[in-house]
Amino acid sequence: MKKLLIAGFAMSILAFTGCGSDDDGGEPTTPPTESTTLSGQITENRTLTANNIYTLDGRVTVTNGATLTIEAGTIIKAQGGTGANASTLIIARGAKIEANGTAASPIIFTSIADDIQVGQTEGTNLDENQRGLWGGLIILGNAPVSLNGDADAAQIEGIPASDTNGLYGGSNAADDSGSVRYVSIRHGGALIGEGNEINGLTLGGVGTGTTIEFIEVVGNVDDGVEFFGGTVNASNLLVWAQGDDAIDIDQAYSGTIDNVVVVQGAISDHGLEIDGPEGSATGSFTLQNVTLFGSDSGEVADYRSGATGTTSNVLVTGFTASADVELDNNGVSQNFLDGALTFANWEVVLPTGVAAAEDIFVEKVGCAMNCDDADDANDVPEDPIILMPTFTERAANFSTAVADAASATVGATTSAFSWTFANSKANLGF
Amino acid sequence: MHITISIKKLLCALLILGGSIASFAQGKVTGKVIDGETNDVLPFANIAVKGTTIGSTSDFDGLYELSLDPGTYTIVFSFVGYETKEVSGVEIKSSGDVVDLNVTINATAATLEDVVITTTVRKNTEAAVLTLQKNSVKLLDGLSIESIKTTGASNIASAVKNVPGVSVQGGKFVYVRGLGDRYTKSILNGVDVPGLDPDRNTLQLDIFPTNILENILVIKSSTADQPADFTGGVVDIITKDLPSREEYSISIGASYNSSMHFNDNYLQYDGGNTDFLGFDDGTRDNPLENTPGVLPFPQVDPNAAIQNTQAFERTLAAQRDQSFTDYSFGFTAGKQFEVGDNRLGFLASASYRNETTYYEDYIEGQVFRKNADPSIFELGVDRSQQGEVGVNNVLLNGLVGLSYKTEKSKYKFNVLHIQNGESEASIFDQRNLIINSNQIKQDNLIYTQRSITNVLLSGRHSSESTNWLVEWKLSPTLSRVYDKDLRSTNFIVSESDPNLFTISPSEGGDPRRIWRDLEEINLAGKLDITKKHKLFGRDAKTKFGGAYTYKQRDFTVDQFSLPFAGSFDTSVLGGDPDQILAPQNIFNPGTGQGFFARRDSNISDTFDSTISIAAGYISEEFKLSDRFNAILGVRFEKFDLIYTGESQSGLRFDEESILDEADFFPSANLIYDLNEDANQKIRASYSRTTARPSFKEASIAEIFDPTSNTFFIGNINIQPTYIDNFDLRYEIYGEGANFFAVSAFYKSFDDPIELSFIREATGQFTPLNLGDATVYGAEIEFRRNLDFIGFENFNITTNFSIIESEQNFSDDERDARLDNLRVGEELEDGRTLQGQSPFLLNFGLNYNGQNNGWQGGVFYNVQGRTLQIVGNGNIPDVFTLPFHSLNFNIGKTFGEKKNSSISLKFSNLLDDDIESVYESFGSEDRVYSRWSPGQEISLGYTYKF
Repeated sequence: MKKLLIAGFAMSILAFTGCGSDDDGGEPTTPPTESTTLSGQITENRTLTANNIYTLDGRVTVTNGATLTIEAGTIIKAQGGTGANASTLIIARGAKIEANGTAASPIIFTSIADDIQVGQTEGTNLDENQRGLWGGLIILGNAPVSLNGDADAAQIEGIPASDTNGLYGGSNAADDSGSVRYVSIRHGGALIGEGNEINGLTLGGVGTGTTIEFIEVVGNVDDGVEFFGGTVNASNLLVWAQGDDAIDIDQAYSGTIDNVVVVQGAISDHGLEIDGPEGSATGSFTLQNVTLFGSDSGEVADYRSGATGTTSNVLVTGFTASADVELDNNGVSQNFLDGALTFANWEVVLPTGVAAAEDIFVEKVGCAMNCDDADDANDVPEDPIILMPTFTERAANFSTAVADAASATVGATTSAFSWTFANSKANLGF
Repeated sequence: MHITISIKKLLCALLILGGSIASFAQGKVTGKVIDGETNDVLPFANIAVKGTTIGSTSDFDGLYELSLDPGTYTIVFSFVGYETKEVSGVEIKSSGDVVDLNVTINATAATLEDVVITTTVRKNTEAAVLTLQKNSVKLLDGLSIESIKTTGASNIASAVKNVPGVSVQGGKFVYVRGLGDRYTKSILNGVDVPGLDPDRNTLQLDIFPTNILENILVIKSSTADQPADFTGGVVDIITKDLPSREEYSISIGASYNSSMHFNDNYLQYDGGNTDFLGFDDGTRDNPLENTPGVLPFPQVDPNAAIQNTQAFERTLAAQRDQSFTDYSFGFTAGKQFEVGDNRLGFLASASYRNETTYYEDYIEGQVFRKNADPSIFELGVDRSQQGEVGVNNVLLNGLVGLSYKTEKSKYKFNVLHIQNGESEASIFDQRNLIINSNQIKQDNLIYTQRSITNVLLSGRHSSESTNWLVEWKLSPTLSRVYDKDLRSTNFIVSESDPNLFTISPSEGGDPRRIWRDLEEINLAGKLDITKKHKLFGRDAKTKFGGAYTYKQRDFTVDQFSLPFAGSFDTSVLGGDPDQILAPQNIFNPGTGQGFFARRDSNISDTFDSTISIAAGYISEEFKLSDRFNAILGVRFEKFDLIYTGESQSGLRFDEESILDEADFFPSANLIYDLNEDANQKIRASYSRTTARPSFKEASIAEIFDPTSNTFFIGNINIQPTYIDNFDLRYEIYGEGANFFAVSAFYKSFDDPIELSFIREATGQFTPLNLGDATVYGAEIEFRRNLDFIGFENFNITTNFSIIESEQNFSDDERDARLDNLRVGEELEDGRTLQGQSPFLLNFGLNYNGQNNGWQGGVFYNVQGRTLQIVGNGNIPDVFTLPFHSLNFNIGKTFGEKKNSSISLKFSNLLDDDIESVYESFGSEDRVYSRWSPGQEISLGYTYKF
């Protein structure tokens, strides 16, 4: 045995010293150009046509100022995989997507597991509860974002910083990332880190030059549509059976979101989750004409960490008695007191056990002291600051109870969603 | 060829050994004669027993042996041109008794008169510890096995911190003068060995038990024969040399920690049947190792998905069980045989240690953030994390050595294997308050199996005149670290009902399992040739040689999640992770619901690199005057790093040369004796050294670490660091072991490498060459026998180091710090190096009863507040607080032949906690981590025969 070891060592030295290579490496592998498989980087203008089903394989990034045009009715099926393997379509800063579907021929992003065929608008084998089968659609732009420490740009979650195509944010509020219309995004939300999944549609620093309308996200693990700063206006959004929040706003997003339907699923969290700026740059959102259909799971809305903006013409229906609209801590409550966070025209179909519309509006408090241990007994919470009248009492000024959804005077114009997979599959009657 | 002969002879020897009972008519005195001039062995010295005709001469290795009847003798050592040393009181107590007596004799300064130095055995023994240090041409601190035994340390990591300027981070990693990781090198018998941590350059020392040790040397200034890639110091672990006598010993030990042992709340999980031997029996093998690529979706191929999911071991929960105490046993055997005129030596040593640790109140990984409003000073809590941790650590090692010695040559063959298995189970309660808002119950099961197998084949050949000495070493090492089936399950605890647990992938992630394999092969070879000659009419030595080291590292990760399909109601699991893979909860094609396995690994997680270092050097050691000793040298090293790996964006390197450096490293060490007795010395040294990036750093790897939730991004453009080192030391050697030294050092770094965060991407890190850095400091060391106040059996040893360092910020770090300054706070130009302790203090008082067999001591060790984690954005810096370690031990040797000894040790008398805190301007410090190691009593017994 020992002899063998020695002999092995001698041979190894010979073998290893003979090592060394002059191979040229280090060049990015170039993806095949005319194929129905999309992979790697798309650096030149490219058009996807409705007569094909395309396969999205891994992280596909449109870069170098290129435009990816997707014809109405095109179906893109994504491969499985998580983390770095997650199949995701990223439109980098400076690049564009022109995905203009129609109500009759929407553009569909789904999983390779979906049996949908060319010319169809839905398959037969997957429902809204099949989530996380691929990543999502990520659009990154140059519009302002409020970041921690006022950094100019940030790396979108899940992409290593060595790939600078993952950066978003800048100073061009009018930035144009193209157009996304009549697009249905299904069964996505693959994991990219601990407790960190890709949203159905992620908009990072997207500017007002971009068109975002008639979008549907179904069965995503994480949020439906998440706005990381930016100025883009978005309208006619529907989110169904998401695993986390339906509409999520962060980093001082300052556009208008108009006409939204949220249909909560079995494991959904908040209908709306709205955060404020992370740096000193401020910006206020406008969110209007929203219908939130609740389920046994999740809450109505959570306003957090310094959020500023207006939420108006909202119909809340089908939630449980414990589902609330909350101000999370003193910071956001102060914004409410200062008039920087406002609410108008909310109508609530009261769940059993809730006496009045305003009762679902709650001021919560953060933790002031001793929350850095598992001992709950010694925690010292903040004191509520919206007093005489309280936030709940003041909510009576902007909320009223309605008997049912049909008798509501506010909320989304649902006819805009008649084209959706959700409407067809869940018989929503839009 | 020699080794073949040796093995045959060993086998014969073992047979003889097994079948004979040794008996001796006489006792023996053996030892080594050292030339005080050259700090080398002194061949052909005369050894005589005063008043008798018995005598001998030392061999080329300086070794001698005298056979004597029981009695008390005076031994006389002499050599032409050298002083004569008489050692009195050498006592052979009984037949078979073997007395070790090593002496150093110095050349007489050109006088014709005989100089006779007389001393006693006892003073000689104490002084021997310092002899090596005193006569060394380089700056070094030695720690003999005797002094390690005095402190009661059981592994090298806890022993080495008694050396001035040495601190140990996390109980494992050695820092010399505040410089760790890439700047401090740990070597085994003078040659490179691979590390055991994928994230570190350095070797963890807690797995090296002290029973394999001859001694530890910490070398702080470089000479040309040392590798160029160290800056703080080299820790050279020297394994046992061959015995001068036949000796066998067995030892057993046990420790009891009142807070950890026999505790019914201890956490563990059922592993394999061989866990108690330090390795996994295959129970934790990756079931899908041979099923590469993305696993099929259950919606697409339900049968394959179910099969893949069922292949995983079901256990995911930490279980309560009663903990046992720590226990250990070991044996050593050594013997020499006469083979004609030559000698064959044999040594075997094995030990086993089983340690159980349980922390009831373990806080780790808490997150505090600075407020976005700079006028608010207090840190806000983002994550609290507290739990219970149970760890069982098994350490098994074996060392077998053979030596064969002829008149002019000596061959050694050593095989060392260390096997370590660590099984950990924990339950944490995590509260997220800012970035997320939830409460999580987390079960973690971790198993790490480490091993090192090292073979050393060495030879030493002397010419007839002993003017030429050739030494060579060949040493292959294989090290393996397997993280086998790391399991982590997060349940979200309902806000309204503390007994309602759900799995929410978007809040707490899916249950996950990870396998990580690191294998590294090192092949090291070394040749040193020494020629004695005269220069300027005085003795001088020319030393030259070469070395070659080849290292290859493979690192792979395979990770999986266990997500659920459909709208599975996870509350039915009742918060029990073991229910996740229960048959009824695995994916059911009928309902489209249930858990399934998903592979999360990526090609950018893995890499395969090789490093080769070819070196050649020449140095000259000479005397400018009787008192002025100098050694000047230059070393040449050619460093190559070859990398194979791929990034996520498709960039690929295939066996590409990443670094190809050829450099000269000059060094100068000067020693001036302030008096004729050479008892006071001034040493000055200069050397140029380097610090090279690790395998992982010089890469395009993008490795997501799920345990810390961070991304490591390699830097293919990283360059080595070059360092200029200056040292100055004043030493006074008193009688016996009395010693005083004060030293100062200064180090200047060009382009030091630090792991830096990336501002745009929270949680992502990359190594960068950062501006310049300097480290400077002073050390004072003092050893004194207390005979001057009448306590001649007591010694005090103390050392104290002060270290300052200054590291420039990277641009991203400076910006992020500026962004998060509080009102009234100003940003400095830089900060201290990560892991650099501002001060270190060791104090020991020990007793050694010469005749009564008692020995004992009190030992205190502390290091200053140390930067542990560099802050990132609004997360402030984390500092390790001083841990006041106070230990007491006492032992007695007894029996007719003094062959039994018993020892008792009390650890952590002050019951201090190990704690790290966030520090931010104007804010109270907030806890990052804290746990209590508790107080421990250890009892050990050794019997020699």
